[in-house]
Amino acid sequence: MQRSLSGSFPAPLSRPAWQVLPGLIIAFVLLALTLAGLAALVWRAPLPAVSELWENRYLANVIRFTVWQAALSTVISLSLGLAIALALVRQPRFPGRSLLLRIMELSLVLPTILAVSGLIGIYGRQGWLTTLVGDWTSASWNLYGLNGILLAHVFFNAPLAGRILLQALESVPSPRRRVASQLGLRGWWLWRTLDWPALRSVLPALCALVFTLCFTSFAIVMTLGGGPASTTLEVAIYQSLRFEFDFGRAALLAMVQLGICGALWLFVVRRGVAHDFAPNRRLAEIIRRPDCRGATRFKDSALLLAFSLFLLLPLGAILLRGLPGLATVAFEAGNPLFDLANATLRSFAIALPAGAFSVMSGLLILTLASRGKALSKISSIASALPLMVPPIVLGTGLFLLLRPALGQPSEGLALVALINGLMALPFVTQLLKGPLTALDENTVRQADQLGLLGWYRWRWLHWPRLRRPMALAMAYGTALSLGDFGVIALFGTPGQPTLPVLLYQQLGSYRMELAAGTALWLITMLLLVFAAFNLASHERGQRKRSESTIETLAEARHA
Amino acid sequence: MLEVKDLTFRYPGTNTAWHFTFQVRPCECIAIQGPSGSGKSTLLNLLAGFLTPESGSVRWNGECLTDLPPWDRPVTSLFQEHNLFEHLDVQTNIGLGIHPGLKLSTDQKRAISRGLASVGLAGFERRMPGDLSGGQRQRVALLRALLRDQPILLLDEPLTGLDAEARSQLRNLLQNHKAEGKVLILASHDAEDRKILADKQLNL
Repeated sequence: MQRSLSGSFPAPLSRPAWQVLPGLIIAFVLLALTLAGLAALVWRAPLPAVSELWENRYLANVIRFTVWQAALSTVISLSLGLAIALALVRQPRFPGRSLLLRIMELSLVLPTILAVSGLIGIYGRQGWLTTLVGDWTSASWNLYGLNGILLAHVFFNAPLAGRILLQALESVPSPRRRVASQLGLRGWWLWRTLDWPALRSVLPALCALVFTLCFTSFAIVMTLGGGPASTTLEVAIYQSLRFEFDFGRAALLAMVQLGICGALWLFVVRRGVAHDFAPNRRLAEIIRRPDCRGATRFKDSALLLAFSLFLLLPLGAILLRGLPGLATVAFEAGNPLFDLANATLRSFAIALPAGAFSVMSGLLILTLASRGKALSKISSIASALPLMVPPIVLGTGLFLLLRPALGQPSEGLALVALINGLMALPFVTQLLKGPLTALDENTVRQADQLGLLGWYRWRWLHWPRLRRPMALAMAYGTALSLGDFGVIALFGTPGQPTLPVLLYQQLGSYRMELAAGTALWLITMLLLVFAAFNLASHERGQRKRSESTIETLAEARHA
Repeated sequence: MLEVKDLTFRYPGTNTAWHFTFQVRPCECIAIQGPSGSGKSTLLNLLAGFLTPESGSVRWNGECLTDLPPWDRPVTSLFQEHNLFEHLDVQTNIGLGIHPGLKLSTDQKRAISRGLASVGLAGFERRMPGDLSGGQRQRVALLRALLRDQPILLLDEPLTGLDAEARSQLRNLLQNHKAEGKVLILASHDAEDRKILADKQLNL
């Protein structure tokens, strides 16, 4: 190898092309895949007349209901999330605060079908709370329909909103909080000077995120919708594809969904508002707010306690019903244990490649971010693509495009892994972005001068910072895929279920004990995934001090 | 010989431009003098290749360095602080200066240990930078610079903030380095450092 004037050794993979090309290729593959899916919607399916959207009562109802439930869910989730975030910022020493924050993070990875089984255990016809309230009052309650959809959406999105809003509130600089504390600002003035300026920048993107999640919700509506009156676009697309074989209608509905979600995200991106959604575990400096005592303290504590119960009860139901359920799985006739084992293997066969794909493509796409404005734009568009184009829309397009070619069930599963990996991409890139771009100017200059380029830079500078976030991202990606019920419902075959599909089938056939066992098994698998990747991220015999320095740096910014 | 000729630089969006012209021979140290903001660090960054000049040239023994990236220049920088990678131990920090892939021969590893002993840090190979005092960190950084063995050493306030003993020890090391035929370019506010180390001055 030729040495330069400085005598430095050329580093492997240090040519500029190596820094840019892989990320560009992945970004363009993602864009091409999405565009191909969208093009397939237009070209491969005979589209019905657009007027059908308002002339056909069913379709008009579907659109109206989808928007209505998403809007209601967004308002309730954000209101509750805001109340929780304010209570948490006012009460930094609330007992169990950090545990509550961890439980709130669960909403990012808890499979919807799993949470639904827990919610049924509490609020369903035979649920604990329904039975308790029914014994004491004559109030009637039906979980199925708009009630259940809203409840489940709030269960998922209020913690997410609360976590992001808390992060924004805690990002207020300490000096400003100290001044407010010294001046004794309360009520409206505290809101105007401290809280509102911090929340203003995240609220539009957060609204868009929660609205999109509720708008594109699938498993919740499938299980708790209760009938045609409570059908959303996503479910209608699924029904058109799987039961009515009306690909044209599916394409039309998918385009309506894309139009609404795409317009919303385009608005958010064009406004340039912040959309940093990865929960941050950094602990803000504790400064007592003037409004943290007396009646407010009591009200905050009561609210936080009630919210903790709201989140914990369904999880408790999964655990308590799941233990006898698992015994049923083990001993019942008909070999449910064999079904569970098969579903587990199938789930991991999809989820592990999906997780690996999301982490690898996320990393490669992120390397573009620091390479000039144009590449940075490509990087952010590629990583936010799955938020703009919902998976069911992408899945529908690819389904139509590849339908003649998809012969083997395994090919369908490979496509599920690919789309699941795409779904995880926005979250994975949020986790990796900070550590990957955390090199300060001094470090970069030192590295440049020493010739730490390409592979050497990755090995000595990035890898120590990224090892733990990558493991966490891999766990997130795998867990999201492990709990996926939307894409697998489209491409999977009922005879070869994954764990969430098996759970859905058991819930649908009222085999509640088996379902409880499967739910507990699924949650155990999720915990196992996080534990395994956490363990794998600790290098044996590694110097503890150096790692802890890096981890502190990385985890200060990232979940 | 290092020749800097009509080197001009302007930060984007500003009208103030810096112009530099000077020469330094091997075994010579030039001290750059001037108030804060006069362009001392800017000049060092231009020489290291961290900044790109508008015009002019930098030549080393007749070869033009102006368009070379930092890693291809025969230059090592020593700043006032942040010279080490905080997450890597002392031996790795020094070793990366010798080979960026840390492919070190036994002799090179021995040289690191000997070097550490010569700067009073024997047995510090596995220590982390965070465990060292300011003076110890600077000695490690200087040892890396010396073992890198590049002909031009850029020094940006390298002794500021150190105690008298550490300053004296580092000055001796720099004097020895200069005597081995190297070029030293020193930006320092400290008159004593300039007096002891520099052979000539460049006023900005």
